[in-house]
Amino acid sequence: MTEEKIQGHPKYAPGTHVSSKDIREKKVTYTWWEVEAQYAYSVGPANSRFLKELKKGNIVARKCKPCGRVIVPPRMFCEHCYGPTDEWVYLQDTGQVETFSRSYLDPDANRIEDPILVGVVSIDGASPKHGFMHYFGEMDPEDLHIGMKVKAVWKPEEERTGSIRDIKYFKPLEGGDE
Amino acid sequence: MNDVAVLGGGMTLFRRRLKETGKELSFQAAKMALEEAGIDNSDIDMVVMGSAPCAFDGIHMKGENLLDGAGAKDKPYVRVFNGGGTGVFAPIAGWWHVASGVADMVMVVCEEKMGGCYPHPQTAFQTIWDPILDRPLTPNLVWLFAMEMNRYMTKHNIKKEDIARVAVKNKKNAVGHPCAQLPDEKITVDDVLNSEMMAWPVNRLDISPPSDGASALIFCNEKKARQFTDDPVLVDGVGWNIASSMWTNRDLYFPQYVANAARMAYKMAGIRNPRKEIDFAEPYDPFTYKELHHMEGLLLCDKGEAPILTREGVTERDGDMPICPSGGLLGVGNPIAATMGQKICELYWQLAGKAGKRQIPGDPQVGVGQAWGDIMQMGTVMVLRR
Amino acid sequence: MTFLEKQTNPLDPVHYRGNLQVDNLYTSGAAGDRFFKHLMENDTFLASECKECGTVFFPPRLYCEDCFVEIPEENWFEVPAAGTVRLFTRAKLNTYGEKLEEPKIIALIDIEDTDGAHLGVIKSDEPDKDFMGKKVEAVLRPKKDREGTIKDILYFQVL
Ligand SMILES: [Zn+2]
Ligand SMILES: [Zn+2]
Repeated sequence: MTEEKIQGHPKYAPGTHVSSKDIREKKVTYTWWEVEAQYAYSVGPANSRFLKELKKGNIVARKCKPCGRVIVPPRMFCEHCYGPTDEWVYLQDTGQVETFSRSYLDPDANRIEDPILVGVVSIDGASPKHGFMHYFGEMDPEDLHIGMKVKAVWKPEEERTGSIRDIKYFKPLEGGDE
Repeated sequence: MNDVAVLGGGMTLFRRRLKETGKELSFQAAKMALEEAGIDNSDIDMVVMGSAPCAFDGIHMKGENLLDGAGAKDKPYVRVFNGGGTGVFAPIAGWWHVASGVADMVMVVCEEKMGGCYPHPQTAFQTIWDPILDRPLTPNLVWLFAMEMNRYMTKHNIKKEDIARVAVKNKKNAVGHPCAQLPDEKITVDDVLNSEMMAWPVNRLDISPPSDGASALIFCNEKKARQFTDDPVLVDGVGWNIASSMWTNRDLYFPQYVANAARMAYKMAGIRNPRKEIDFAEPYDPFTYKELHHMEGLLLCDKGEAPILTREGVTERDGDMPICPSGGLLGVGNPIAATMGQKICELYWQLAGKAGKRQIPGDPQVGVGQAWGDIMQMGTVMVLRR
Repeated sequence: MTFLEKQTNPLDPVHYRGNLQVDNLYTSGAAGDRFFKHLMENDTFLASECKECGTVFFPPRLYCEDCFVEIPEENWFEVPAAGTVRLFTRAKLNTYGEKLEEPKIIALIDIEDTDGAHLGVIKSDEPDKDFMGKKVEAVLRPKKDREGTIKDILYFQVL
């Protein structure tokens, strides 16, 4: 066997590690920059209606007649049939937990004491597995489970802004479980 | 279509933060690959750059920033990018440059600098979500993977201990790797299970670290490669596939898009029975459960069987189906696109018998590497054969 | 293909506000760190020379992009913090399109004894004159205030 094969590749590992301490103590030079780019995202016809209906306390979907799917969040086109979707359908504000997590991390990966309960809810009246991400509340975090029946808790009407957060969270549906 | 051989690879140290700029890291990795191939940069016809979201490096259009370090000045050059899938997609792009005949010799360089992103690389990940429906909920990427892991565990009734074994195996495998960020000879399953809870069911040691680093690989027309070696390692098949971005409209327990990509690659490679014909694999392992998820997606076992094989030691370096002999992302580090170093360079070094302390026993002939990215959507697969 | 539902009321479409806020800490790099640390202690610049092709890089680099070789430390040397204006422009507006009180003169300056150039600001009592080909020198921050970034070069003045 050649010496090369015994030693193995990669033969060396170029690069210089810099620790957070090196940065704090300015052992290496660096430049700091803060980007702040502001956007006004066009919501589009499907989500515009979706958000406006949330403001009224409704969850709406789009139906695609060729494949029969009732799609939520609604889209103006069906990515399966690759044609326009056909009509609006009102759904219930109940559903079931498809998956979830109890997060001890905030959005910037800072540690938090009380876990954020987050997951995917498939909405009653939509096609199976069709739903959206949201929070959970009014329950013992340990009780949250896949398959749990849940119901939306809405913000008071005057506080709604036309946002996914017009729903505060989903809570256990009374008498819904097993 | 031309046959394509691998001539050499290189990778830098992987660390949470490196002093070198992205250009400098690209140069160092590229230089190593050229040295191993025994060629000069002037022999390279075209260059492919792989690098994931610009927000990590903090340089928009960073492909253009990195090009001189990648040896691409005054050459045909392109940056390809599909999130975490880039580490295998960039070599796929390198392959098609040579397979199509537009180039005889191509260098692929992958680079990522995540250490400069504040307050945390997670902050940049926030901006990959749908701004209207997802971002108002301020999601963290760890949440997402926790949700996928939960779905996978619940569907197959998988125990957390069996998933934790992946971290133990990969961090031990990484001990022989000179670039490794988190090698650990002594780690136990209990260490993983008792590490800080990040987002149930994900503990801290289930997650690969963000890293700075670069890697490089050289592809050559097989006929030309005969000038350099009698026993070339060849690209045998490639595949890629993406699922809908509407991830709340599909079941997350199985990565169907990875299976689609694997089938495409196996068909090209003439592989009918991947479990028998593939000797070892480097599936993408940014999280412990992802290695298992991807073994199933790569059709190396039945759905829900990967944790059992792991528990039985089948996936150890000296097992029947070694998985992540490099040490993977969990052991060596996760500078997103630059994980080409573990996923494809490692296949090459193993098949060429050049992996040193990490060498799989038994003279492996066929290996598969895979990466995964975007919002649980993208599967990229490459099969190498000696 | 067209969507089956039309939006006809121009006041109707919804926009959703968002931002991309990510902060970055850029290490200067292997070459950059050497350059800036030198500038913190000295009133000169550093350049690096590729011995294969003779190119003298400014800002100094770790490698030559043409010969694709590393440039060792012994091929680094001091050059004056001065040069010749190759190109310039007079900016009348700031980044946000607002009128500046004083026009800002931005110049590409060929640094003396090197093949490289630096994008800098020229300050002058006669901002309306032609700066093409003029010799300029860097005005640096007082040494005690230097922090190892490009801002240690305050501006250039005509010699
Ligand atoms: Zn349809
Ligand atoms: Zn040169």
